[in-house]
Amino acid sequence: MIKLILGFIVIAGAALYVLSKGGDIDMGGEKHGVETSSSHSAPAAATPASAASATKH
Amino acid sequence: MANAQAARPMTAEEKKVIFASSLGTVFEWYDFYLYGSLAAIIGKQFFSGLDPSAQYIFALLAFAAGFLVRPFGAIFFGRLGDMIGRKYTFLVTILIMGLSTFIVGCLPNYASIGIAAPVILIALRLLQGLALGGEYGGAATYVAEHAPMGKRGAYTSWIQTTATLGLMISLIVILVCRQALGADFDVWGWRIPFLVSLILLGISVWIRLSLNESPAFQKMKAEGKTSKSPLSESFGQWKNLKIVILALLGLTAGQAVVWYSGQFYALFFLTTIAKVDNVTANLLIAASLIIGTPFFIFFGVLSDKIGRKVIIMAGCLIAALSYFTVFPMMLTAANPGLVKAQQATAVTVTADPTTCSFQGSPIAREIDFTSSCDQAKRVLAQNFIPYKNVIGATGSTAIVKIGDKEIPSVGGTLNDAKNGFSKESAAAIADFKKAVLAEAKDKGLTAKADDAAMNKGMVLAILVFLVILVTMVYGPIAAMLVEMFPTRIRYTSMSLPYHIGNGWFGGLLPPIAFAMVATTGDIFYGLWYPVIVAAGTFVIGMLFVKETKDVDIYAND
Repeated sequence: MIKLILGFIVIAGAALYVLSKGGDIDMGGEKHGVETSSSHSAPAAATPASAASATKH
Repeated sequence: MANAQAARPMTAEEKKVIFASSLGTVFEWYDFYLYGSLAAIIGKQFFSGLDPSAQYIFALLAFAAGFLVRPFGAIFFGRLGDMIGRKYTFLVTILIMGLSTFIVGCLPNYASIGIAAPVILIALRLLQGLALGGEYGGAATYVAEHAPMGKRGAYTSWIQTTATLGLMISLIVILVCRQALGADFDVWGWRIPFLVSLILLGISVWIRLSLNESPAFQKMKAEGKTSKSPLSESFGQWKNLKIVILALLGLTAGQAVVWYSGQFYALFFLTTIAKVDNVTANLLIAASLIIGTPFFIFFGVLSDKIGRKVIIMAGCLIAALSYFTVFPMMLTAANPGLVKAQQATAVTVTADPTTCSFQGSPIAREIDFTSSCDQAKRVLAQNFIPYKNVIGATGSTAIVKIGDKEIPSVGGTLNDAKNGFSKESAAAIADFKKAVLAEAKDKGLTAKADDAAMNKGMVLAILVFLVILVTMVYGPIAAMLVEMFPTRIRYTSMSLPYHIGNGWFGGLLPPIAFAMVATTGDIFYGLWYPVIVAAGTFVIGMLFVKETKDVDIYAND
């Protein structure tokens, strides 16, 4: 259990570190469109290319 | 006996089962975030050379890959899992999923092989969607069938923590590659995160090959009781179909909207409505997930003691009751200047309502919005400027009023090829949008969140609260779904409601919420969707769903 907790802390710390250094990235999950622009968090339904609908499973 | 089993520590074999199953879902989540973070680059590499009509067709197919193929995959692989076994089925799903991802990393782009590139990419995504449909159900069923009585909640809750892990790994891989490669990342470096998936695949397959079939399935097979037709048993017999419907409406629908609201809508809300810069918003969301993740285990363990239903229902109820309080609080904490500006300046759209289109179709194109009402609402909605609707005269041109200033809107006229607005029309729309945004900016309605004025502690506290609600509904869900169905049809029966709940009720939350905001002009109106669905699940769940923690999953075999 201790190993798991330490592993989680290390990965979480590394993720927060890289995010703080250059974290302008879309964390909104999978997009269901054919994005051709790089707009972050584009509102859904603006164009077929920006259907910002994350879905899972 | 059950108490004795529950009291003993986890065996090495059980740890391996949980690890192997969770690794598959880590992989699944890793992919999920890759296809979000790298969507713009993938679009440029594979779709930007296509004409608008072809782009539209591919957009429909990509949409289908997410929303239609997964439930189909749930049925397809669920059936296999109930007929030939859990172990081999989720070995196949991870192989398809992993190889699809890896091949994307090797796939030549549109510039190299033309139309074949997007065709193959979409085919891979459809294939991947199919495999994804069978992955979660397999992992949950497999772990639960290995878990001793009284510990199924604890054991299966580990699977839910993989969402955070998948996000963290994707962030590390992508951001390290991007930092290291600079401009090359957009050219070829984006392939590395996809290729890295081969390592995850190799480890997952290696471990899964060494596992044994689940004891419940082995017993059933030895007794010759496996289902010959899991689909007709699951969905053709009312006694089972009824439970599938209850699992969907009384559990997974609410779970999905609470999850999407707590993670994805919260992020969307911070970056677009509260206008917090992307890096700060990402850090706050990531921190809240890291703090909240142990609660998946906590509520999984708790569900073994006090019941699954009470925790899931409490999560849905608290969400339904609290969203209209906590999201406005988050806006005030994140961007107090914007809230003051919104209170000081009234914005209205006066238009003939019969000329206003539905703004929320996730597959709509810009050229589908041709009326002056559409253009007026789009510019305000896309910039999340709250407004009120005023009914205008029949056939009148829409007018946007910001404070005392009135700005007449313009309609759009299509070009001869019908694939865009005419040059003059596009220029008039651009001028209109510029005028609206200039006035809105002057009134402070588009003000970015000021880092110094932001109450980050409060924003983080609210985000953690939202994530804890996610863990309440998600932590015990796998165990509960598994316990609702007999072994012979478990994989099939639990996978479908899970995927329809999460894919449709949850996955459609962003476009539906946006459509509600765009149509009404109320930036909080989109919250009605998760509130109504979560409240509906609470009512249906409380009335019709039975507690399952003490169910003997072997009893009906």
